[in-house]
Amino acid sequence: MKVNSSLLIDDLIERTKEVINQTETLKENSLETLNKKPNPNSWSTLECIEHLNYYGYFYLPEIKARLNNSNKKAEAVFKSGILGNYFAISLLPKQKLNKMKTFKSMNPSNSKLNKEVLNTFLNQQQTLLKLLNKSRDYSLNKIKTSISITKLIKIKLGDTFRVVIYHNQRHLVQALKAAKLNLP
Amino acid sequence: MNLIETLTFRINQANLWKKEITLKRNEYLKVEGSIDTNLYYVTEGALRIFLVDEIEEHTIRFGYRNNFIAALDSFIKDSPSPFYIQALKKTNLKVISKTDYISFLKSNIENLQLWDNLLQALILQQLEREIDILTSSPIERYKRVLKRSPQLFQEIPHKHIASYLRMTPETLSRIKKS
Repeated sequence: MKVNSSLLIDDLIERTKEVINQTETLKENSLETLNKKPNPNSWSTLECIEHLNYYGYFYLPEIKARLNNSNKKAEAVFKSGILGNYFAISLLPKQKLNKMKTFKSMNPSNSKLNKEVLNTFLNQQQTLLKLLNKSRDYSLNKIKTSISITKLIKIKLGDTFRVVIYHNQRHLVQALKAAKLNLP
Repeated sequence: MNLIETLTFRINQANLWKKEITLKRNEYLKVEGSIDTNLYYVTEGALRIFLVDEIEEHTIRFGYRNNFIAALDSFIKDSPSPFYIQALKKTNLKVISKTDYISFLKSNIENLQLWDNLLQALILQQLEREIDILTSSPIERYKRVLKRSPQLFQEIPHKHIASYLRMTPETLSRIKKS
């Protein structure tokens, strides 16, 4: 995938705005609704969001550190890496959500959760927006970040943002479904 | 007709509204880092504009029914803007694009004069706001704003007024009681 760097950032910021607005909608619901599991094996709304928080705890400091330690300047075009692009696209929400395996360390199932989970997630989105905006001045191609599932590979910053944000969108769809809210 | 009424009347006549948007309570029109060059007219509801630093949110302005609202830095410079714009209740907005608006201004000198008058009024408001911020006494800040825009205290949740006044909600409660 090849795309104008600033258009990619604009798109990811818009997606994040959508994610924030959906989370604000979730906040209007009772704790009971938010903790309801559609079936014993699937996550409640709060479990979906807590799962995203786990990812945020990893990726946000990772991205921040890579940006702070880099002087690689922005380029007009971002060209997605093979692996990074594959991860990002596989996470995008589809018409019918395909089941994916989650890593044990990222599984929030059965933890005791309250509405603070949503506030934590919203604060993470504010941090993410700052990082997206900051990265307008940095290379989305040359800066690489680690990923949460293995230490063996790194992916391009532009793909890291796509992975994080597409993953957010995916689980927001699931979270809204679990609360039986109509999708916008 | 006041300035804004005249302006919207003329925009109506030219049929320049691109679309209408509805926001639910707490939904965002704009977030940090985005480029938004549109001008919005509030037909219903209320919004706040705020910034987020490392520690907290700073509410810097409100928009009410029959106001125009925009990320003016983006509007003027076509640049990314640090401001968030959030609906505080169910809010309806009419949208006009920068391009359409600029050609509307250029089409008629009276439109341009109208805009010029509005910007002058805005500059005066911003100067008042600067004095607010430099006023060290919380009570004086409160009095200035109460006198200038009593509407604020009817329409906007307490915690956002406190943020606008640069004080804690507790301090604002205490001042209101005394």
